[in-house]
Amino acid sequence: MKPLGPTRLILMTAALSCCQAAFAHGPVFDCYLEHDDQVKCEAGYPDGSSAVGRKIRVQDARNKLLLEGSIGADNTYTFQAPAGDYTVLFLGGDNHDATIQSADISR
Amino acid sequence: MTFTRRLFQTLAGATFGCVACAAQAHFQMLYVEDTAPQRGDKLEFALVFTHPFSGGPTLVMDKPRAFSQVSAHGSKTIDLRQYLRPVQWQSRDNQATAYRASIPRELMRSLGDHIFVLEPEPYLEAEEGLYIQQFTKLIVNVGGVPGDWAEPQGLPVEIQPLSKPYANWTGGVFRAVVLADGKPVPFAEVEIEYLNHAVDIEQNSFGQAAYVTAPQASFNAQSTYADAQGIVTLGLPRAGWWGIAALDIGATKTHKGKPLSQDAVLWVQVRDMAPGKDSGIAH
Repeated sequence: MKPLGPTRLILMTAALSCCQAAFAHGPVFDCYLEHDDQVKCEAGYPDGSSAVGRKIRVQDARNKLLLEGSIGADNTYTFQAPAGDYTVLFLGGDNHDATIQSADISR
Repeated sequence: MTFTRRLFQTLAGATFGCVACAAQAHFQMLYVEDTAPQRGDKLEFALVFTHPFSGGPTLVMDKPRAFSQVSAHGSKTIDLRQYLRPVQWQSRDNQATAYRASIPRELMRSLGDHIFVLEPEPYLEAEEGLYIQQFTKLIVNVGGVPGDWAEPQGLPVEIQPLSKPYANWTGGVFRAVVLADGKPVPFAEVEIEYLNHAVDIEQNSFGQAAYVTAPQASFNAQSTYADAQGIVTLGLPRAGWWGIAALDIGATKTHKGKPLSQDAVLWVQVRDMAPGKDSGIAH
């Protein structure tokens, strides 16, 4: 079996996190590294719904909460990359959660 | 109506009719492999002025006047000319100068619609003694979050999509409005052409084999007209790439003392409804 690439993993995580009936509105979520190790995350929905105000959590490898914030008016949230492995969790509402691992976040 | 005016209209009709004739089957390609990536990544473009159904002959391109990207957040237009590089494109019958562009991931990371616009230098069709200039649009969507795909880009001529150009199933229907100076063009002459050869973007070439065989020459490029509101509707019978060109709709009718056909081109990518691996549907 072909191993799943990071993109598939991200989308699968998002898909599995959604209740089936609301699958059409499952979130799309991605993060990438900008200058000075700033991590920029973007969120949205395939139906064009706004993600503004939705919560973002950054957790370490033991699920300890490191940071918490909200998606801004431009549908992004930016934070300083923590040391070590971490996970970014997007709380999309109605169980529409999506996660991305630090290993899948690049420039 | 005076004789002079009637004569002028006759001559103008003949001239512009010839422009439309000559412009037929020339298509400005703005090609990428995938217009709907799940995640933003660097993007390889091929800009080729050619005959997509027959896989050539390809026509020599001069350096484009403009090649730009409206970013997914819609707030800025990025000049992409710095990424253009000339290449020799190998089509079935000949080799001619085309352009490639490697767009870095940094410009493609954002979720949503990235709108690419090409304004080529007018091409001199020497045998006909006229110029052709095809304003060409391609829309790439990252991740499935919709954006400004339906927004006009303020071009002298353009095709404004009424359906997402990057999300079409085989057998679907696509609709768009033909615009000149931002206004619909009633009954605009439109050509639709299928990219009938594989594209090897790394080798800058078309594949030799045709996907389909046309029963007769008039099938190579299908001709139709927009309706009274300038709306063109087409079916999408096969997966791959479909080019839509509205011919000779620009207000500028001459270039360097010769007739000019300003055309609008939009490319649409079509996908098969392949059954999922766990669907239980035999395939």
